[in-house]
Amino acid sequence: MNKPNYTQVGRSVPRIDGPLKVKGEAIYTDDMVLPRMAYGKIKRSPYAHAIIKKIDYSKALELPGVIAVITGEDGPNKWGIVPQTANEVALAVGKVRFWGEGVAAVAAIDEETAEAALDLIEVEYEPLPVLLDPQESMQRANEVRIHEDAPENILHAGEQLFGDPDKAFAECTYVLEKEFHTSYVNHAFLEPHTALASFDTPSGQLQMWSSTQVPHYLHRQLSIVLEMPMNKIRVTLPAIGGAFGGKGEASPADFCAALLSRKIGRPVKVTYERSEVFATNKGRHPCHMKMKIGLDQDGYIQAIDFDNTLDGGAYAGWGIVVMFYTASMIHLPYKVPNARARVRRVYTNKPTCGAMRGLGGVQPRYAMECMLDEMAEMVGISPYELKMKNAVESGYLSVSNLHVPHTEYKKCLQTAVEKSGYLEKHGKLPFGKGIGLAGGYYISGTAYTLYQAYKPHTTVLIRVDTEGGVTVHCAAADIGQGCNTVMAQMAAEELGIRYEDVHVVSGDTETGTFDLGSFASRLTYASGVAIKDAAAQINQKLKEVAAGMVGCRADQLEIKDGRFYSKFEPKKAIEWEKVVDVYTNAVGTLVGIGHFSPPRLKGIDLTRGKRVQGANIGHSPTFGFSCQIWEVDVDLETGKIRVAKVTEAGDCGQAVNPMSVDGQVEGSIMFAMGQALYEEMRLDAEGKMINASLHDYKVPTAMELPEIDTTIVDSYDPTAPFGVKESGEGPVQPTIPAITNAVYDAIGVRFTDLPITPEKVLRALKEKQALNSECSGS
Amino acid sequence: MYLNDFEYFAPKTCGEILDLVGRLGTKAKILAGGTDLLIMMKEKMLKPDYLIDINDVQELKGISYEPGKGAVIGTATKISEIEHSDLIREKYFALSQAAGELGSAQVRAMATLGGNSCHASPAAETPPPLVALGAKVVVKSIAGEKELPLEEFILGNRKTTLAEGEILTKFLLPEPAPRSASRYSYIGLRDAMEIDAVNMAVNLALEDDGRTVKSLRMVMGSVSPVPLIAVEAQGILIGQVFNQELMEKAAQAASVEANPISDIRASAEYRREMVAVLARRLLQQAFNAASGTKEGNW
Ligand SMILES: Cc1cc2nc3c(=O)[nH]c(=O)nc-3n(C[C@H](O)[C@H](O)[C@H](O)COP(=O)(O)OP(=O)(O)OC[C@H]3O[C@@H](n4cnc5c(N)ncnc54)[C@H](O)[C@@H]3O)c2cc1C
Repeated sequence: MNKPNYTQVGRSVPRIDGPLKVKGEAIYTDDMVLPRMAYGKIKRSPYAHAIIKKIDYSKALELPGVIAVITGEDGPNKWGIVPQTANEVALAVGKVRFWGEGVAAVAAIDEETAEAALDLIEVEYEPLPVLLDPQESMQRANEVRIHEDAPENILHAGEQLFGDPDKAFAECTYVLEKEFHTSYVNHAFLEPHTALASFDTPSGQLQMWSSTQVPHYLHRQLSIVLEMPMNKIRVTLPAIGGAFGGKGEASPADFCAALLSRKIGRPVKVTYERSEVFATNKGRHPCHMKMKIGLDQDGYIQAIDFDNTLDGGAYAGWGIVVMFYTASMIHLPYKVPNARARVRRVYTNKPTCGAMRGLGGVQPRYAMECMLDEMAEMVGISPYELKMKNAVESGYLSVSNLHVPHTEYKKCLQTAVEKSGYLEKHGKLPFGKGIGLAGGYYISGTAYTLYQAYKPHTTVLIRVDTEGGVTVHCAAADIGQGCNTVMAQMAAEELGIRYEDVHVVSGDTETGTFDLGSFASRLTYASGVAIKDAAAQINQKLKEVAAGMVGCRADQLEIKDGRFYSKFEPKKAIEWEKVVDVYTNAVGTLVGIGHFSPPRLKGIDLTRGKRVQGANIGHSPTFGFSCQIWEVDVDLETGKIRVAKVTEAGDCGQAVNPMSVDGQVEGSIMFAMGQALYEEMRLDAEGKMINASLHDYKVPTAMELPEIDTTIVDSYDPTAPFGVKESGEGPVQPTIPAITNAVYDAIGVRFTDLPITPEKVLRALKEKQALNSECSGS
Repeated sequence: MYLNDFEYFAPKTCGEILDLVGRLGTKAKILAGGTDLLIMMKEKMLKPDYLIDINDVQELKGISYEPGKGAVIGTATKISEIEHSDLIREKYFALSQAAGELGSAQVRAMATLGGNSCHASPAAETPPPLVALGAKVVVKSIAGEKELPLEEFILGNRKTTLAEGEILTKFLLPEPAPRSASRYSYIGLRDAMEIDAVNMAVNLALEDDGRTVKSLRMVMGSVSPVPLIAVEAQGILIGQVFNQELMEKAAQAASVEANPISDIRASAEYRREMVAVLARRLLQQAFNAASGTKEGNW
């Protein structure tokens, strides 16, 4: 591990966006008010499944202050993040498929009038049977069909086979098979979706401001729905108040604002209420999983069989991608020589599921880490030992051809175990107190775009001149995760200057160069490659000028701390600014442009050398790893679980900004703890959501925040720019199984569905008691 | 999420308020902290034509105390003031605890004690301790004023005795008995911003022997439309030497007396069980505090 001596990378600098946010000066989309701006509101369906027989909005148009009303017919082109399965429309056409689906939108002179107008829109529905459970949806597909082109109510199903799991299971000493069910959760970001569209009629240009994490994909979808060339549309991101995957697709707010603006020739803003955020959801898929794991007599994993039914809700969204991710996630972070996955993503009449922090990983990780905990007991060793035995090492190639260039996973396990005293406590604490361990990993980017394309995934342009200093341009989306800050740090490192002297222009498809978006924990790695590429060009040009000023050859120069100097005679030096000054006077503004294209890795069954359907999904240039150990106290009378402490150790490669990494880890822990213990979207029998507010949808509060001890383990991936990996999604992976394993250690009950509520705990305790007294009685 | 149009009044005296409510009748609503009222208006459950803001009326605010007589708390006193009052903590501990658990710091800074009882939510935080502490309310109209126990004031879910032209002006809390202690607790998923699945307050006084229960008030919330006094449970302990067996019997009796429903927060069955858990814990704590033994064996 020959890790360079960095000065800007590895610094815990405050966020670029921090001061404005702390002072309340950051401008979010909903803060914006343009001259002549109108306000848009969306009329939503009270039915989860119904034919729209008639929409009459004449009364709404008569209300003073109402400017226009649109319905599905005004923009019927289908959109979707995955082009092969695009099946959403801006507003429902002919039929609604979930409670809260938009059926019409109003533009009015103020929000109050727009809201009043919604009540004047008359919609005649013919209710259809509502399917809320994926099993029922498949069974009743003959009788009730959610989409015409999906006769079985299945978006897509896939089977992946690697090696010979059946043969391997037959030879295993230990085999365990279990079912797990995960809950229906939403991201609960602070800022609801909001979009402001300004269409200029004479020039035919559309300016969009939107709270999105995928400006590029929004750009593409707008072009499809509005039938406008992309070069006539500009997408700009004001400050974004969190996204976590929930803004990883366009939203009807975007389309309605744009369609209304084009119709009336005035700017239109649409900002969701919290209930609309829940209604349009795109949160985590509830998964109904069967998993079978086989170990040999020494505890080495020989085979995994995974069956997953994903409850997708009403539309496709990210569905097919999430589905294949769940299949790919069984191949790491342990060595699995034989595997089979059978997966299907089913339509139901619920607000659609989509991408959510740790997409596709959280559900299978829950099953696998809980099962390995149980299997360690079967083998008679500690879960730590079992996981250490099976953990992957640097250079590992999975049977599905996933390549792990570098990992410190074992170091994560060791560190967390040592710091928490896991081995001394596990299995030895008094009844009611428990400690649980789980590991996990996540991708640092993907190998492919969502549509067929060979173009680079990220382009960075660095501009240097005497006026602006250094400006990094990239249309990346800083949604609060801090990519602007780390891009500035990496650019400063490579240029040999200070982070404080770098400006970042991002989140704009016109002033920023191309980027795919903030998802798949891709940006630090991707922008890092592009920044290195762009900076090298700048350094080369400046060195040629500096060489003459210093009096040595350009290739003998180093740049550090804002100075060019000869590596043989460091006293021969010149200030960076002076070189820029000379260069600019002679040539003008200097630019360097760098690109990132990930390696095009293929999903292959290595034992047969055959391509496997859907197995390209899950490949990444590198992977982050982590381990969490949770200590819980279970109140045996109320069933309430109190978290005493969390010990975490993570391999995020080289941390560009350790303070930011800690923030990501702590945030991840709270985020996933919500799904484990508190959060759940609840629907009534008709599919209406009954807790569509942050009062009734229970996100953990600061009061639930446990003591958290995080360690960034020493790591450097030599194949990665600056040695980086990811830290935004990996740390959510171990949380749920670690809590579940801790609860098992406390009370001897293994929970296989979520959330683990006090009521469930108490019921389980009683059942256990009844069983015990039955056993002792007989 | 928009409010209907209304006319806004900000009277300075109680007399002015009474004039206004007398004149405007049911078309007017009192605006105290607004933490219930404005939500109901935003959700279009209420569309008052007039709002009468009572926050500028000094005589309706604040906590006063006279030794031997007890405390008077103005209806418009903020929950946060009650939460942070040394006097309330010392004399009426259960109320202090309940005030500290209501909503979040932001909500407590706005919400008032009177609003909590007038809104009369079955899950409300402060009515159970107030009833346990023997609080009376003073209801006033142009015609005059009357005093009644809080348990008679609250009639059901969002129902009180308040008639047209009447307002609540203050709470009267009797001087706590010697050798007495009160405790409050709740069951809910989170430790903040929680609508209680069950809550309970216990106010227990001992005889001079420090062991015999002289008087007891046990009041449960969120298990009936009104704060429910556990009459049976009280009867089991009053006049008896406090012991684990009786405490357990009382807890079971309270659980039987409770009349909970199943909803999104908890099942009726779980609520009933939690009544017994809270009863046990609070009785033990209150007994320990009243008898001067060291607190907490849980
Ligand atoms: C986020 C949030 C969390 C909450 N959490 C809790 C909680 O944990 N526990 C809990 O108990 N409550 C909770 N509440 C509810 C609310 O805060 C309390 O009920 C509060 O005490 C209400 O007081 P207020 O002054 O805001 O009442 P307001 O909203 O001003 O008034 C409530 C009702 O009482 C009437 N009223 C008020 N004062 C008088 C008076 N003097 N005479 C006659 N009528 C009057 C009003 O007209 C109105 O109908 C929460 C509310 C919010 C918004």
